[in-house]
Amino acid sequence: MLIKWLFKLLTLLLMMGSARAYALHEGQTAPQCPSALTDKGQQLNLTAYKGKVVLIDFWATWCGPCQKSMPFLNGLRNEHLQEGFEIIAINVDENTEEAREFLKAHPVDYPVAFNPKGECPGIFNVEAMPSSFFIDKTGKVRKIHLGYRDGDQTEIREVISALLAE
Amino acid sequence: MRFCLILPMLLLLLIGIVGSQGCSPVAAWERGNLAKKEMALDPNPKLNHLRDHIFTSREASQGGASGAGGGCGCN
Repeated sequence: MLIKWLFKLLTLLLMMGSARAYALHEGQTAPQCPSALTDKGQQLNLTAYKGKVVLIDFWATWCGPCQKSMPFLNGLRNEHLQEGFEIIAINVDENTEEAREFLKAHPVDYPVAFNPKGECPGIFNVEAMPSSFFIDKTGKVRKIHLGYRDGDQTEIREVISALLAE
Repeated sequence: MRFCLILPMLLLLLIGIVGSQGCSPVAAWERGNLAKKEMALDPNPKLNHLRDHIFTSREASQGGASGAGGGCGCN
C-alpha cells in the first residue's frame, strides 16, 4: 500500500518538475526564425547571411539598456560593414507600432525584424533583454551576450573583430 | 493501517499545495507590461521621497519611519 502511494507521489513530482526541453548554446548552429517579419513583411531568412558575421540583437522599446545599446551597435555595424558584418535586430514588442514609432525617432541603419508574438526569442531561448547572439561565417552561434552596460563595448568589439578575422 | 494512509495523504497534500501554486515564470521578452511606469512598486519615487522627508521631520517622535530632524523640515 505504502509503495503504491510512494509511486503516486513520485509520478506527481515528475509531472510538476517539467524542465525546458530546448536551449540554444554556444557552438550550435543558429536556428531559423521565420516568424519574425522584416520591415517589408517578408520572413526573416538567416541563411541569406551565411558567409557574414552576424549579430542578432533582441530588443524592445520598454527595455532601457536596449535603447542605450542601439547607437553603439549602429556605429559598430557601419564601421565593419565592408568587412562582412551585419546586425539583425529582432523587436519583441507586443505592439509593433510602438517599435516603429521609436525607430522613426531613433533610426538605425541595420535591418530590423518584428516578432510581437515572441516565437523567435523562444527558439533562441532569450534569457535577458537585450540579448545578442554572435554568429560566425559558418552560421554557428559563437557567443551569447546578455544585457548591455557601458563596459561591454570593448568586449563586443573584440568578439566581432575576432570573428571577422577567421 | 489508518496511519499508513494518512501519512502519504498528508505528504501528497503538502506537495500539492507547494507545487500547484499559480506561479509561472515570465519570459524576458514578455515583460513589456511589467516594465511600465504604473507597474512599479513606487510609481512616484521622487515625490514619495519628498513626502517621506517631510513626514519624518514632522512626525519623528512617532517612530516607524526613522527619526531624523526636529520639526523644521530643513534637515
